[in-house]
Amino acid sequence: MKSKSQKNKKHEALKIVVVAPDLDVQDMGDDHAVSQAKRSRALRIGLLESGFNLIATLPADVFLSDRIHQLQPDLIIVDAESEARDALEHVVFATRDERRPIVLFTDDNDTTHVRDAVAVGVSAYIVDGLSSTRIRPILDVAMARFEYEERLRDERDDARHALQERTVVDRAKALLMERQGLSEKDAFTKLRKIAMDKGLKMAEVAQRTLDMADLLS
Amino acid sequence: MTKLLETPMSRRNVLQAATAGALTIAPALRAAVYAQGSDKPEKEEVRIGFIPLTDCASVVMASVLGIDKKYGVKIIPSKESSWAGVRDKLVNGELDFAHALYGLIYGVHMGTAGPKKDMAVLMNLNQNGQAITLSKKLADKGAVDAASLAKLMATDKREYTFAQTFPTGTHAMWLYYWLASVGVNPLKDAKVITVPPPQMVANMRVGNMDGYCVGEPWGHRAIADGIGITAATTQDIWRDHPEKVLGTTGDFVKKYPNTARAVTAAILEAGKWIDAGLQNKMKMAETIADKSYVNTSVDVINQRILGRYQNGLGKTWDDPNHMKFFNDGTANFPYLSDGMWFLTQHKRWGLLKDHPDYLKVAKEINQIDIFKQAAAASNTPVPKSAMRSSKLMDGVVWDGSDPKKYADSFKVHA
Repeated sequence: MKSKSQKNKKHEALKIVVVAPDLDVQDMGDDHAVSQAKRSRALRIGLLESGFNLIATLPADVFLSDRIHQLQPDLIIVDAESEARDALEHVVFATRDERRPIVLFTDDNDTTHVRDAVAVGVSAYIVDGLSSTRIRPILDVAMARFEYEERLRDERDDARHALQERTVVDRAKALLMERQGLSEKDAFTKLRKIAMDKGLKMAEVAQRTLDMADLLS
Repeated sequence: MTKLLETPMSRRNVLQAATAGALTIAPALRAAVYAQGSDKPEKEEVRIGFIPLTDCASVVMASVLGIDKKYGVKIIPSKESSWAGVRDKLVNGELDFAHALYGLIYGVHMGTAGPKKDMAVLMNLNQNGQAITLSKKLADKGAVDAASLAKLMATDKREYTFAQTFPTGTHAMWLYYWLASVGVNPLKDAKVITVPPPQMVANMRVGNMDGYCVGEPWGHRAIADGIGITAATTQDIWRDHPEKVLGTTGDFVKKYPNTARAVTAAILEAGKWIDAGLQNKMKMAETIADKSYVNTSVDVINQRILGRYQNGLGKTWDDPNHMKFFNDGTANFPYLSDGMWFLTQHKRWGLLKDHPDYLKVAKEINQIDIFKQAAAASNTPVPKSAMRSSKLMDGVVWDGSDPKKYADSFKVHA
């Protein structure tokens, strides 16, 4: 368990990108655009006041995915009602293998949806307005949630990987037992010795053994 | 309020619909339809998300004309800013239904377009009426259709950028199919980006993209503004192709089958009203041009819904295969083969890593039974088979019979 100060320091170093609508609203009669601009301004002031590392504010234009690719932020913050969401969707899709949290802000007060709204690479967020005092806990929670999900994903991948490695070692053992008339224990010892001598993983030695057998058969 | 399926007449229709088709309503379900004694919608007020496009019209008109009340529901259209937003709100229940891209609903069900969740397609909202626009600059260099574009891309080498509206959506698939038909691989030979429909025209104006595929009115708008040309309509790619659907979640259909049926019936009737004649179409155009819906001028909408097309290079034509909301009921049936087609293309372009069980997935998503009941309630003809045969622009026939073979048959793929 990390101490709080450590955790906050970690957040200070987060590279955050905000995707924001144009701040000079063209048509003051467009309520949607006006409220988005207002929220966006409040959000950025709040982030700066809380000491976050805002590396860029990107306009929601066609270059969004290129810029995000260049900047490699840890966290992308976007207004849930922004038209930029589909462009971000493209980013999420293109970076399926290098996931990063995306926080969505909306005016919706109902936090029961948060749990349901977590999409691939998106930690969805519901807040009422955007007072700066609320932003830090939100980011903390968003990051915690993201890390938790990543951990689950890693554990799943590790388990899958471990299973694959075990299968390879088992196959190599069987091969040695069959070709060299070794007992299972001796076959295992032999593989382990080669691994230690060469500074390789058991699974690597096992794979090489199988590859060699393929070549020579 | 008119109770659905209450009159003996409409019951007979249901039975006819059920027995005429290759698919029959399971006896248990048929019993359930009548055993309830009342088919009153469980949820009477429903929020339906839509994106500002011409093809949201039947959803909007069902509400504006009060057709919804006739079926015991109140539709509240909710304007959304992004397809991703539509998806999230459907999944978390903020929206009950949505005017949605066919491939978006399938993408969510398969887990390729965000969180995996069982989804449902209740009906097709429309056929046709999208277009591929190329910039004036490209047209001046001779690229006015797929073949001449491929030629230009081969001789005048640089990075060409094309926009669609959502990674698994319909416009991405039309654009990819069209480019690939002339040997251009959209994933390797071009740069593809995602742009919200209302921003397409502005981006083309400042030279951010060479072409885009989007729904009307944004194809016609490029011509009206003199910044692009129509290189292909989507009905050129696939005549009477499926486009937007009325989508919801699998859970919603299970929990509120009567509501699903009532809303489907109301929108079927609204589509019938739109397609009934010129005056209705003009009235629809005036209604949806409003700021609360598509937010554009009426004349940008009303040309192409009447089939009056111009390509921006002086050619004008009357297209009989313009956007249809009803087309005597053929526009709305959620054919299993239509749904499967999107899966084959998702596989083709690497959005799906493995072949799914195409027919099984389509049967899970497309709610044929509910559609048939809604069709009976709104006097909509129902086709005999849940599959249909279509010949696409390259002469290849798709009839849903061997989806795996079809998906693997394309020379140009991911």
